[in-house]
Amino acid sequence: MKRIPTGPKPLNIRPALTGPNWRGMWTLYIKEVHRYLKIFGQTLLAPIITTLLFLMVFSVAFGNGRMVDGLPYVEFLAPGLLMMTILQNSFANTSTSLIQQKLNENIVDTLMPPLSPMELTTGFVLGGATRGLMVAVGVGISLALLVPVSLHHPAAIIFYAIGAALMMGSMGMMTGIWAEKFDHVSTITNFIILPLSFLSGTFFPITRFPEIFQIISHYNPFFYLIDGLRFGFTGQSAGSIEIGIVLVITVNVLLWVLCYWMFRTGYKIKD
Amino acid sequence: MRIIVTRPRQGRWNMLGTWALYRREVLRFFKISAQTFFAPVVTALLFLTIFSLAFNGEGRSIGNIPFVQFLVPGLTLMAMMTASFANASFSVMFEKIVETIVDTLMPPLSPGELTAGYVLSSSTRGILVGVTVLIGMATFTTVEIHSWFFVIFHAVAASMLMSVLGLAVAIWAEKIDYVASINNFVILPLTFLSGTFYSTQHLPETFRLIASFNPFFYVIDGFRYGFLGLHDGNLTTGLILMISLIFMFWLGCMKLFSSGYKLKS
Repeated sequence: MKRIPTGPKPLNIRPALTGPNWRGMWTLYIKEVHRYLKIFGQTLLAPIITTLLFLMVFSVAFGNGRMVDGLPYVEFLAPGLLMMTILQNSFANTSTSLIQQKLNENIVDTLMPPLSPMELTTGFVLGGATRGLMVAVGVGISLALLVPVSLHHPAAIIFYAIGAALMMGSMGMMTGIWAEKFDHVSTITNFIILPLSFLSGTFFPITRFPEIFQIISHYNPFFYLIDGLRFGFTGQSAGSIEIGIVLVITVNVLLWVLCYWMFRTGYKIKD
Repeated sequence: MRIIVTRPRQGRWNMLGTWALYRREVLRFFKISAQTFFAPVVTALLFLTIFSLAFNGEGRSIGNIPFVQFLVPGLTLMAMMTASFANASFSVMFEKIVETIVDTLMPPLSPGELTAGYVLSSSTRGILVGVTVLIGMATFTTVEIHSWFFVIFHAVAASMLMSVLGLAVAIWAEKIDYVASINNFVILPLTFLSGTFYSTQHLPETFRLIASFNPFFYVIDGFRYGFLGLHDGNLTTGLILMISLIFMFWLGCMKLFSSGYKLKS
């Protein structure tokens, strides 16, 4: 059989002026995912090792058999660590990806194709969220080997994991767009994201805080994310799950709109 | 016009050149002082907060010393070690990637002078970070010094050890990825598991035996002895180990520079 050579099929990337550019969005998403899979040692393995180190250090420092909120400490800690990795990695992905493109000045290659601001936002945020969730799966599996894990409420686990990943993906994106130097991104990471992800009930219940900080914590979305994920695993929660769900959805929508607006106006991206 | 003689004779130190390299490196990290000084302080204080709140009211103490005070030396040293390693490794790595390393290799600097310039500047960063972190922590807890000799010796030794290690890793590495791997998979686990956060007496027997082969354990233990006056390991072993390791890696770095391994083609 002789194969009849066919010429390249013309790509119909923008068939009409209405309707989303699915192919373009998918391409951007895949580009983002490939970017971090290329350095999976740093992006996937390193967070797993760090989380296991935290688990080990805290369980040794605490000694055995200590109870926190009616749970053995390691079981209390595991969901907190899991959420911490989602928060940090989703944020890291979008923020570094964008600032790198800006510094290399190849962001123009992302802005030139026929992608609307909404499509750009979707591609970047979903790419970052995917990294957070992939790391979470890796961390979750390795934690499950060491700590007894029960799935009390799988729907809550999925909701809060995805909600957190999307939220940090869009926050990272805003940081990446706003930042002018790599320095700016690390400042936000070191002085805002890291403290918030450490102090929102990851390692200990917020009832350990002085009164005033407990009140502040109830306005901290990270607290609800960690608390909600912990509820999903253990059935114990310190805050209200309903407020958490409403808050996660509201914050996500709000951040998404902000990202859209940033791309739309070309804030710090276009001259 | 005065002619600056940078290499007056063979066999003598090019003090001016070494000083120039040292100063350039120090200025490099001062330019980003938010990252180099404030970030480690914030991180160390966060760890302090987490541990003291997590232990809140449970009154755990290690050998009559409140746990928070036990943590101070470990966290300080951890910040110093991370900073020294990061400085030496990223500086050389960055120069290799942007191919400006030739500007450092071309001037009349011998391998010993290059090593000295890089190692001393990175140690300076480590020690400055240590001082900042310690001041930051002293505002929250009491910091007392039991033996100045052990504090200073181990502070300098830890910074220098991490600097020579960082330098060697950066010369070997081809991508920034390699440096990050060593950092994440070797340095971080060794510092976390060498008794920074707990006394090794809490470890099971086998782990304690493993810890006694970890050089980082001795440096943290000796540094802590300088503050608190109590130790888990042998102090003399620590002193000898530190000096010999630094000596060994220093010679190693000189050898790498003189052979031009992965630097010259």
